[in-house]
Amino acid sequence: MRRMLLRELVTKFSRRGFLRAGVATTAAIAVGGPNLLSHAEETGLSAAESRTLLKLTRDLFPHDRLDDSFYAKAIAPLQDEASKDAATRKLLADGVAQLDAATKESAGKPYAEVADEKIRVAAIHKIEATAFFSKVYNGAMTPLYNQPDLWAKFGYEGPSSAKGGYLHRGLADIDWLPR
Amino acid sequence: MPAKFDLNDSSVVVIIGSGAGGATVANELSKKGISVVVLEAGRRMEIGEFQNDEIAMFGAFSWLDPRTATGSWYVAKTSPDLPSWTCKLVGGTTVHWGGVALRFQEHEFKTRTRYGAIAGANLADWPLDLKEMEPYYDRAESRLGVTGTHGIPRLPESNHCKVLFAGAKKVGYSKYWTANLAINSVPRDGRAGCQQAGFCVQGCTFGAKWSALYTEIPQAEATGKCEVRPESQVLRIEHDAAGKVTGVVYVDRAGATQRQKARIVCVAGNSIESPRLLLNSSSSLFPNGLANSSGQVGRNYMRHTTALVFADFGKPVHMYRGTSNGGIVMDEAGLDTKRGFAGGYNLETLPQGLPSFSTNLAPGAWGRERASWIDSYANLAGVWIIGEDLPRAGNRVTLHPDRKDKFGVPIPNVHVDDHENDLAMQKHGMERADAIYKSIGATRTIHRLPFPSTHNMGTNRMSANPRDGVVNAHGQSHDVKNLFVSDGSQFVSSGAENPTLTIVALALRQSEYIAGQMKSGAV
Repeated sequence: MRRMLLRELVTKFSRRGFLRAGVATTAAIAVGGPNLLSHAEETGLSAAESRTLLKLTRDLFPHDRLDDSFYAKAIAPLQDEASKDAATRKLLADGVAQLDAATKESAGKPYAEVADEKIRVAAIHKIEATAFFSKVYNGAMTPLYNQPDLWAKFGYEGPSSAKGGYLHRGLADIDWLPR
Repeated sequence: MPAKFDLNDSSVVVIIGSGAGGATVANELSKKGISVVVLEAGRRMEIGEFQNDEIAMFGAFSWLDPRTATGSWYVAKTSPDLPSWTCKLVGGTTVHWGGVALRFQEHEFKTRTRYGAIAGANLADWPLDLKEMEPYYDRAESRLGVTGTHGIPRLPESNHCKVLFAGAKKVGYSKYWTANLAINSVPRDGRAGCQQAGFCVQGCTFGAKWSALYTEIPQAEATGKCEVRPESQVLRIEHDAAGKVTGVVYVDRAGATQRQKARIVCVAGNSIESPRLLLNSSSSLFPNGLANSSGQVGRNYMRHTTALVFADFGKPVHMYRGTSNGGIVMDEAGLDTKRGFAGGYNLETLPQGLPSFSTNLAPGAWGRERASWIDSYANLAGVWIIGEDLPRAGNRVTLHPDRKDKFGVPIPNVHVDDHENDLAMQKHGMERADAIYKSIGATRTIHRLPFPSTHNMGTNRMSANPRDGVVNAHGQSHDVKNLFVSDGSQFVSSGAENPTLTIVALALRQSEYIAGQMKSGAV
């Protein structure tokens, strides 16, 4: 069952100096690069598991305008948690294995290597009711969308008080309404 | 300067909670020379700490203590551990509110008489009426600096307002304008004018919006008769053998349990914490909870009948620019049962920043369709339906049978089963919002069912007869004469209006009554 996303994050991180999604870690930076090994590898997710997690996150929240670096930051908190907590690591690793098993059956390849999005989406539907799905869905969503670098790509201007608000800066610049 | 009172000073009025109700009563009483101690569970923030950051501010001052939700309502499914979205800091939810300041309509004070008996609803008339409330509404509007009243100009229309109003006009509505807002359109009463920054809900960085944090509270302290103790969580209210309250037990900032004596106690912790505190203050004299001989404490919980409708125009709107609840359409606010439901609703602009919008859109959904709404973010407009929610005896706050908070107090459970009247109104509102937006070219709309509610009402309701409610028309307990309820939990109906102005008006009225009762020695 989906829980209030914000709350989950709030309780996970300290209240002050709170999570900006940019609090990526070495694990996040490592994903997607040629050298995927990081300290997380020893105790947390493997590079292949991280790569699958990233692909899954992109499939859940697919925006063609975003490159993988945004999704890498989105899964960073999950990677961190997996490196610190064996139960989380197992939950995520088992879920990745389930996804891989689903696509191996349907397309003969691990999830992250399947090029056809429809096949990957069908695999996600098979695991939609699992705790793994909820964990990734809830754990990656806010870190994905709360990245200031991402906002402008969607036309969101972010904080405005320091710029004096919008009173004299486009508050009523709409030009297409019927008269 | 702030006063300092001894724990054993039994002459003080103790006010539990520093939001719209508690802070207003604190300010009024202290201005009359009455000694007041305000116990606030949250910490004290300054305007300078507010950031234009939805996620950070949610974490900084939301009420996140453990709670549970049960029942058929959508919130229990999507947010079972956070049934409401209120605040935990000095100033309470006035830090977060959107500033919409509307009077209740005449019929909304008399729902039992005007709507008749509705099966499955626990309707009752307020033991007061609009005429009695008008002078207090008048004072409250002046105090808060409500635009559109007292000659205060309305705020300018943003893009987001203009889209709503153009659609409203197209479908034949006529009552639309920038709302009556407790947000300064021009500098007034020591507060700046609105700069249209948005982020009203994250705490106004300009102090243009009325909030008790930087109005009522410092004004009360300046009298020298008021002491505010932040980070002080009240656990229970105590009484003597005669059934009069004698003080409260609370845990202070350092974690030490304290006992503050009191001549009068005012409960103003919002509609979940206030009944929780009364229920947790049960004793051999009050076995069902303090002030609960009627059995109504915790019952008749109301939020508002709501939903959010977003529309995609394919062309820029930038809904986040400007005052959050800037625009209102009031054509559906009245009583017209031909629509298939009792009560009415308002339509208010409700933008969300991208972080909030993208994380709250379509709970549980994923994939291309959902993502396409975020791709269209800059081209969206959003409107919020806020309508009357009927009281039901079974919609109630109770003490959780098993779970306790860190102080050992049972956590509250909020149970709500939607009444068919609410669902009919919600459906009507969503259809009208669709029509408004589609009339001016929206290519698609999406409906977001209710969030955890910021409007919480009714759990210690007023009644003329002690059998039917918890407090009288002045918020005074029927059972315990020196115990008052000073927040929105006094409400008998929810109306179609944002509740804050009515909470403040009731607090002004109650303050006069308390001062009179103290002077005459009645309490």
